Amino acid sequence: MKKMIKLFCKPRLPLLRRGLGRGVLSLLLFTAITANAQTKSILLLNGIAHIGNDSIIKNSVIGIKNGKIILAADAAIAKIDKSSYDETIDVTGKHLYPGIIAPYSTLGLSEMEAVRATNDFKEVGAILPNVRSLIAYNTDSKIIPTVRTNGVLMVQVTPRGGMVAGTSSVMMLDGWNWEDAAYKIDDAIHLNWPLMQTHKFLDEDNLYYGPYEKNKDYLKQTNDLKKLFADAKAYNEGDAKKEKNLRFEAMKGLFNGSQNLFIHADNVKEIIEAVNFVKQNGLKRAVIVGGKDSWMVTDLLRENNIAVVVSRVHDLPDHPEDDVDQPFKLPYLLQKAGVLFCISSDGNMEAMETRNLPFMAGTAAAYGLTKEQALKAITLSTAKILGIDKTTGSIEAGKDANLFISTGDVLDMRTSNVEKAYLKGISIDLNNDQKALYEKYKKKYGLK
Amino acid sequence: MKKIFLFILTISVCNFSTAQETFPVNGTSNINHNYYAFTNAKIFVDNDLIIEKGTLLIKDGLVVSTGEKTAIPQGTVVFDLKGKSIYPSLIDAYTNYGMPEPKAAAHGLFPQLESNTKGAYGWNQAVKAETEAEKIFISDNKSAEDMRRMGFGAVLTFHKDGIVRGSAAVVSLGEGRANEVMISSEAAAMYSFDKGTSTQDYPSSLMGAIALLRQTYLDAEWYKNNKTKKDYNITLNAFNGLQALPQIFETVDKFSALRAAKIGEEFKVNYIIKGSGNEYQRIDDIKASKCRFIIPLNFPVAYDVDDAYDAVNISMTELKHWEMAPVNPSAMEKYSIPFAITAADLKDKKDFWKNLRKAIAYGLSEKQALKSLTVTPAEFLNVSDKIGKLKSGMIANFIITSGNLFNEKTIIYENWVQGNPYKINDYNTIDLKGIYDFEYAGKKSGLLKIEGEPDKLKGTITVDTAKTLVNIAVAGNSITITFNPKDASGTVRLSGNINNETMKMSGTGQTPDGGWVDWKASFKLAAAVETKKDSAKKEMPLIGQITYPFCAYGKKQDALPGVEKIIGDFKMRDAVILIKHVTVWTNEADGILKNKDVYIANGRIERIADDINATKLEFAKVIDGTGKHLTPGIIDEHSHIAIANGVNEGTHVSSAEVRIGDVINCEDINIYRQLAGGVTSAQLLHGSANPIGGQSAIIKLRWGKSPEEMKFAKADGFIKFALGENVKQSNWGDFNVIRFPQSRMGVEQVYYDYFTRAKEYDARQKAYKTLSDKEKAAATPFRRDLELEALAEILNQKRFITCHSYVQSEINMLMHVADSMGFKVNTFTHILEGYKVADKMKAHGAGASTFSDWWAYKAEVKDAIPYNASLLTQMGITTAINSDDAEMGRRLNQEAAKSVKYGGMSEEDALKMVTLNPAKLLHIDNKVGSIKVGKEADLVLWSDNPLSIYAKAEKTIIDGQIYYDIDEDVKQRVEMQKERARIIQKMIDEKKGGAAIQKPVLKKPKLDGCETMEFNYMSEE
Repeated sequence: MKKMIKLFCKPRLPLLRRGLGRGVLSLLLFTAITANAQTKSILLLNGIAHIGNDSIIKNSVIGIKNGKIILAADAAIAKIDKSSYDETIDVTGKHLYPGIIAPYSTLGLSEMEAVRATNDFKEVGAILPNVRSLIAYNTDSKIIPTVRTNGVLMVQVTPRGGMVAGTSSVMMLDGWNWEDAAYKIDDAIHLNWPLMQTHKFLDEDNLYYGPYEKNKDYLKQTNDLKKLFADAKAYNEGDAKKEKNLRFEAMKGLFNGSQNLFIHADNVKEIIEAVNFVKQNGLKRAVIVGGKDSWMVTDLLRENNIAVVVSRVHDLPDHPEDDVDQPFKLPYLLQKAGVLFCISSDGNMEAMETRNLPFMAGTAAAYGLTKEQALKAITLSTAKILGIDKTTGSIEAGKDANLFISTGDVLDMRTSNVEKAYLKGISIDLNNDQKALYEKYKKKYGLK
Repeated sequence: MKKIFLFILTISVCNFSTAQETFPVNGTSNINHNYYAFTNAKIFVDNDLIIEKGTLLIKDGLVVSTGEKTAIPQGTVVFDLKGKSIYPSLIDAYTNYGMPEPKAAAHGLFPQLESNTKGAYGWNQAVKAETEAEKIFISDNKSAEDMRRMGFGAVLTFHKDGIVRGSAAVVSLGEGRANEVMISSEAAAMYSFDKGTSTQDYPSSLMGAIALLRQTYLDAEWYKNNKTKKDYNITLNAFNGLQALPQIFETVDKFSALRAAKIGEEFKVNYIIKGSGNEYQRIDDIKASKCRFIIPLNFPVAYDVDDAYDAVNISMTELKHWEMAPVNPSAMEKYSIPFAITAADLKDKKDFWKNLRKAIAYGLSEKQALKSLTVTPAEFLNVSDKIGKLKSGMIANFIITSGNLFNEKTIIYENWVQGNPYKINDYNTIDLKGIYDFEYAGKKSGLLKIEGEPDKLKGTITVDTAKTLVNIAVAGNSITITFNPKDASGTVRLSGNINNETMKMSGTGQTPDGGWVDWKASFKLAAAVETKKDSAKKEMPLIGQITYPFCAYGKKQDALPGVEKIIGDFKMRDAVILIKHVTVWTNEADGILKNKDVYIANGRIERIADDINATKLEFAKVIDGTGKHLTPGIIDEHSHIAIANGVNEGTHVSSAEVRIGDVINCEDINIYRQLAGGVTSAQLLHGSANPIGGQSAIIKLRWGKSPEEMKFAKADGFIKFALGENVKQSNWGDFNVIRFPQSRMGVEQVYYDYFTRAKEYDARQKAYKTLSDKEKAAATPFRRDLELEALAEILNQKRFITCHSYVQSEINMLMHVADSMGFKVNTFTHILEGYKVADKMKAHGAGASTFSDWWAYKAEVKDAIPYNASLLTQMGITTAINSDDAEMGRRLNQEAAKSVKYGGMSEEDALKMVTLNPAKLLHIDNKVGSIKVGKEADLVLWSDNPLSIYAKAEKTIIDGQIYYDIDEDVKQRVEMQKERARIIQKMIDEKKGGAAIQKPVLKKPKLDGCETMEFNYMSEE
């Protein structure tokens, strides 16, 4: 039984966490530019507004002007001047939600996972902080339109290769090109914490793994990381008169607090090590991604202000002995312990699965969270963790008008039905190729 | 110099046997026909017959007689064994003694479709029926000595390589040529499920190995009877030759033993199964197999559990097995299963006696232990007339011990093999224990006290009340004593002679300053005898209970003893449940009924009514269904859970001969997890690696039951077909470009070719069946071909196709093939472009089992749309939503709900897609799939509308029994924690006690190499 057969199915992205080599990319910084700006102001009247901050306005009035929410209030109380809006939409009985944000995603970097030519989420090499997802983000991905139809309007596009995987950016799911789709450029650097126990692969393509064993390189790998961070810190504190090191340059933001460090770690010991690494390096902002065992060290996380991006809730427990619903209730366990967290959809068939992110929050609601807490875990909390909560993540006056309307509860597939969505006040197209094919074949068969 | 020494050693071996008659002798012949008598010994003739004080007489390597009053002829060498015991030497029925190490040639990068073996052998490299241990055996004194020290005198040995491993030999563990030690040259035929060093691709899975073995039995039979055959086949010839021997089958766990037994049943072979050590976990089924066993004593060592975070990685199975493994031999004994004990599978052979004594402490009787190491293996191997007992005419293989062989303190002195002595410990060692008057340097120096074991003596010299420790070493009649006297700095060294009759010692020695002195000691009195409890009579250690299955979330079933258990079983069988005031999704014309009572008894739905009076129903478990929803159990048409060691046999373009039903893994935790998601039945499918895959198994998720008990009774047979990228190996890397087909064009031809052959086969088979017995005898025998037989079943509407498919061209193609060859495609699974050819599918009569919203994972799913299920349903095609994924399998209700969102399907129709429709596709809708009086009670009670993401399965009922209960689940978690904690505390004690330990490792997948493959294939989209 030595010969392996490779059936390409659902590539397991976590397997792609390791790689070798190096890549050099331009360090030019771009400013986010929106191609089109909102011209007509809108008033959304009498909808059930789920604010995103764990509160709800049952009969709301939401005013949108110049791409911003200028009014978000109870319709019974607020004074409304309808005439000051170009358009008034009656949304009685319908639900308003802030645009959902998908953290830690490869959406836009991968089109068909089994087709190598369509994959752009992984570089060669172990230390790749200067590799940036932003420029590979394909605004014309056929997957993106199928995702925003379920209310996901923003995504943190994240590279995956190597130990330090690269730099992510937060993108809007609409735009002519990556420049105008960018919402926050180079928001974070992503680190795959070395695994304490690893497995050998049984095949040459590194798809099928064998039994686990102690990672003999663990000490070397963590030492490499320590050295990298010490060097990068010294480099960025020192005089400018030196040869440029693109990797160190790329890490500057980690030390001045303008950038986040996302550390992917699931195992409890690895999480503890990662938190101590953050402390030892005096990093101002850090986040644990994955965090399957994070519920075991909530005090440590809370005390160090480290948030958790919970990986796909629709997952199996790691051990047969685990509670059957362990992955389902992880968000609740973190909520109960007062740890800041958000939910991501990373995992198998990740790009496509982004459209199911609202339902993962729905499951978290079935297993302990309230529905509004679950919503917060894919909107405002995500925005906070990504550092964009000042401008988005909730339906509050002053923020960008990133929101959508659904006829029913959007966390439940049984009722989810997104009718309209806005990014910076502009109504976005909710059609996609799949809907078009549906219509085409309905017509072929004469179905209604 | 060295060479000469070795040479002398070789020829100086003095043997009594005469097997060397044809060999030239270098030097002087050393013929010896002396009698040897062993007198005054306790003789264990066998496990039943014990002579308390008797004589064993041997000559020419054979036992002449044993008895209390054996006459000793003149000129006999006599050994007085007063106080000692003689046992038959032990027999190990499972070794590779003196066999070459199997060596695998490196597998190339490209597939290897054919055997690499040179010569006119059979087609598969893993079937090595032609291997003969007698031809490759060389006696190896170094290994033999290790075995002899443990008490073994003869072993079965074979070449451990392949699924069929040829014949094994029984050899003695004496020194000498293979010719001299050979006891039985063809003692047994050996089998396993492990392909060993074979580099040929087939089989790559356990089910493939099973199919290969079954086909080999058929082929060999056909080969034997076919007088007009044109092919010559060494392997089949040899295979036929093996059949008269005892048949030994190596297994790696209890289920593998049951699988072997099943093959035995089919081909009328009663295997002797080489067990794995966990048979106790399914002892009832093991007993029912009627097989005999050879079991190892490979008890696991404790884990290092100090680190609580790491200890999480030790599974419940491992924890419990660590605690319970020593019970295995006694469980076999209690269930009267014939079994031999082997030292095989021990990491360190030194653990043999330690573990055997442990097994005895855990309930194995000493009598049985002796039997399992002597008489039983001899009987198994048809050599009970030669070894295993000390009866007249049998080979003189015996051991001399200081006492009860199974006592910890007992010493094995000598192991006689074929009448030749092998010294292990010297029983002539003088017992010096006692107190002596001691004289040193001409003056009385007090009392010398000697104590301890013969090889570890220690002592003291007492002068008045001052004690000085002394070191004592004895070799034969020489003694050395060293000590540091109080009045001198340095060590005094005394050497001397012991007179073992007078028990006096005397000699000379040197003081620290180098002066020579005389010394003397004479026996004064015996030391007080320490009274210790007999270690063999320790109380049976406390251990946990067996759970079914033997893993996390298993349930204890032996909680009720005796009669109460029978009543308990009776109650279980006739579980009566009344669910009141519940919303019932009937899936029948009645639609959704609100506020109904549902009465379940005899495993069936008995009544559905407005108000059923509970008080009249004895035993009824009444459940309040207010606010809850009752639906038929979820049926997953496409699942890969609960399959052991490989989901694909994709090494051949067709593997119609393999059967998932042979490899059901009833201990997969995903069964329980899916019960928690409301799944009651699933079709376990072969993977999609080849156009014609294997036969599937339909199961009910009866957690705790055996693989056979899980099977859906009287269900139709199904088979997996596959199209597209997987079968043309598009994503298998750059080397998998050899196997036909590599394009969709080739896939069509595969089907035409196979079905053309299947048609011809079917015709031949039918014609052969019409022949009379006489005609049959005269005709060329019919060769049963398991692969073509499965395809012929399709043509005869006895087997039905579930075909993995994606794009419209290939779907269309297969329907054309089917129409022209005269069969139907029952179900297209995945069928993501089904919506494009829905009209054609409707015309063909195919059903669909699809994903709700998967796409974008490979090129052929580019046009997949989540509206597919809605469109197919609207076109009147029976449509199901399946999982193909262990995780998604527990949320199929939600996946069905997506069709409400995508395509506006009614909620009733959506639920049908995971209940009634898959039941229809699997031809089980007359039994399950809807809530109707008379149907089997496979039901789920939901906390909410079952299509809602907020709904939880609170109770999952199969055959009217609750298999998952959300409240019980919480209780069981607590119980599991307690049980784990209890065993962990024991392990900590074990570590403190200095026992060997092992480090826990992460297991995700399970540690087994083959299981790993299983994990990889769990979802094969």
